[in-house]
Amino acid sequence: MLTHLFKLIWNKKKQNFLLIMEMLVSFLVMFAVFTLIVYYYQNYTRPRGFEFEKVWAVNYQSPQGMSDKDSIAAFNQSLKQLIKSMPQVENVSFAASNIPFSMSTHNTNVSHEKISEMAHIYAVDDEHKDVLNFNLRSGRWFSRADQGSRETAAVINADLAQKFFGNGQPIGKTIDFEGKKLKVTGVIDDIKDKGDYQGPDNNLFIRIDTSNQAWIGAILVKVKPTADAAFESRLFKSLSNVIRNSSIEIEHLADKRVTKNNLTLVPMIILLVVAGFLIINVALGLFGVLWYNISKRKGEIGLRRAVGASGGSVSKQLVTEALILSTLSLIIGLFFAVQFPLMNVFDLAADTYYIAIACAVAFIYLLVIICSLYPGRQAASIYPAVALHEE
Amino acid sequence: MFKNYFKIAIAVLRRRKFFTFISLFGISLTLTIVIVLASFIDHLVSAGYPDTQRDRELYVNSLRLMSSKQGYSNTGPASFYFLNTYVSKLKTPERMAIGSIYVATNTYVNNKKLVINLKYTNDEYWNVLSYYFLEGKAFNNTQLVNGEKVAVISEETRDNYFGKGVSAAGKYLETDNVQYRVIGVVKNVPVTRVFAYGDIYVPYTLSKSDLNNKQLTGMYTAILQAKDKDDLPKIREEYNQMISRMPKTDKEFDLIYSYADTYLESFTRMMPFSSPGNSGITIFYAIIAIFFLLFLLLPTLNLVNINISRIMERSSEIGVRKAFGASSKTLVYQFITENLILTFIGCLVGIVLSFLIIQVINNSDLISHADLKINLNVLFYSLLATLIFGLLSGVYPAWRMSRMQVVHALKAQ
Repeated sequence: MLTHLFKLIWNKKKQNFLLIMEMLVSFLVMFAVFTLIVYYYQNYTRPRGFEFEKVWAVNYQSPQGMSDKDSIAAFNQSLKQLIKSMPQVENVSFAASNIPFSMSTHNTNVSHEKISEMAHIYAVDDEHKDVLNFNLRSGRWFSRADQGSRETAAVINADLAQKFFGNGQPIGKTIDFEGKKLKVTGVIDDIKDKGDYQGPDNNLFIRIDTSNQAWIGAILVKVKPTADAAFESRLFKSLSNVIRNSSIEIEHLADKRVTKNNLTLVPMIILLVVAGFLIINVALGLFGVLWYNISKRKGEIGLRRAVGASGGSVSKQLVTEALILSTLSLIIGLFFAVQFPLMNVFDLAADTYYIAIACAVAFIYLLVIICSLYPGRQAASIYPAVALHEE
Repeated sequence: MFKNYFKIAIAVLRRRKFFTFISLFGISLTLTIVIVLASFIDHLVSAGYPDTQRDRELYVNSLRLMSSKQGYSNTGPASFYFLNTYVSKLKTPERMAIGSIYVATNTYVNNKKLVINLKYTNDEYWNVLSYYFLEGKAFNNTQLVNGEKVAVISEETRDNYFGKGVSAAGKYLETDNVQYRVIGVVKNVPVTRVFAYGDIYVPYTLSKSDLNNKQLTGMYTAILQAKDKDDLPKIREEYNQMISRMPKTDKEFDLIYSYADTYLESFTRMMPFSSPGNSGITIFYAIIAIFFLLFLLLPTLNLVNINISRIMERSSEIGVRKAFGASSKTLVYQFITENLILTFIGCLVGIVLSFLIIQVINNSDLISHADLKINLNVLFYSLLATLIFGLLSGVYPAWRMSRMQVVHALKAQ
């Protein structure tokens, strides 16, 4: 049966070649689309690793003109006291401008012994963990006790700990960062601070001390549920009076998250709409071509019916033919698609690609079956008498 | 001859309505997407309100400091000091607009927070860019020098702060804890025109940061306007000489790169594929062209498949024409013409559809104050895309048709 169908396909190789090409390109398009969907979905289901609901961010530029490090530190300390003294404030943390959901990033290579990894660097203070409620996996967050120690204290995320130390104990080990040594005091669970669709990443938190006060660009304020817009405007006023030589802006992390997510979602939706149109296009085209082919083969089908083939087996033959065609194109397509996980293109996890390949294969088969079912049914309803009469 | 082809094409289209629908549906959807994308790119790249004189302007939007020893670099907008001390001394440009990158500030009206994007500018800024003033006028040089707390605001800011349609000229607006007297209200600018977008424009002399700080990178950009287009190469030349003559004050960052670029170049310069001395604009064009060709690949294959089916249907007609001496070439021309007619009908439908989609985008909040439109430029590129699409999808089927054996063609009936 199958060899016979292959022969039929071979006899019309010129026309079928184009159909195969069309299915092949559709498969590659769907592979790309599904890779993105699977990747974003996998990321979306990962735990966020921190809380943002009641956290506000104050963006400002660290005081210019104050060149003395100690005076900057003293200024920031008094600023912190001022905010903390407000009744609606639960906790305050100073950080560099790459706070969660911000557009600003700071990444560089850090290394431990021979292993070098690209990591996001966050300069933050002792209260950062409590403001964002990170889950500590082992060790401790840095604290006042680390003041004045020879190596600056640092906290890393589980992913980076795994890459650097494998299953060994990371606490107390050192990491090289821009020519300095950092001492790991703790490991936190992975976080998604760049939006809900962010993939696994390496995070390195460095304690702010007097030497790197100039990195500070934002203040994270965790507020109590009683904090409202009136309080926000009071906070804004009093901060503006203290921070004189910089514009300031208060943002809510919840709003920043929506904006950041939209940066991923909007292009994704546009892509899906475009891919959707392409697929409708292809589906209609396939449908038309298959339908036309059947009307061309009336004689052949009529003859089969006349010698006793049932309507069902005729329509089955046509659907199978279409499926063989799509299988041929999928084999070629798979050859290209499999290169992505094998050569580790774009640095995505291999299972993302394999799931995407499976989805794309299923999608193409489904598309072909849907497009060939109706023409197949049409073929089944051909009466031998009518079909053969035309000859 | 052409009239004949046209008649045949229409007759063929009317014969198999389902196939015609599939072809037209595919063609018009494909072209709709192409036209909408073209219109969006045109919106990003071409001159538009309020930056209408782009053909005689050059932009300075970034400056790159590099350390020749360590290899690392620091790229960002220029500082006011750099623009004021070096760039403003250039002789060829007629005018120079200086504006800061907009910074977000907050204001609270009736316990409601407003985010207001603040932009510091010089007085020439208002002559270089043609803002449309709904009320009042821009600040002048005296107000700038005296550091008067005056501001030009956008229509949207006025509506949010003072109420919809309420006149604002002469009133006071407080943002970032500073009171400004509103002296003008301008029509909203799309956020995609980054050099001109802002909610409130105030004199740079009011800037909270130190303007005399001798750092070269900062938060300002400049637009150099020439008397006419022919002066642009001279400005570039003068700008490059100025950069090469700049004193090397910084020991760490001893290499300075900065260019006066056309609008698009000033952006491609920031892409990873550009290098010092090469703005990367050709690579950018190539990427766009390849993207469109790849996008057209699938619809083209689809149309080729449908076309081949349709030709086989017409084998008797082809057989008869061949038998009466029509050359292969004539048949190829005929079929390509027919296909082009089909694609152009699809293009017309596509223009109507994309017009509707563009209206939806403009009225939605997707890009605030967007003014996408189908202008002559977009129309030209859409027609070009249609032509390419029509040719690509017509040539192969036509070639197949012309090679058909007369005997086979006639026998099929």
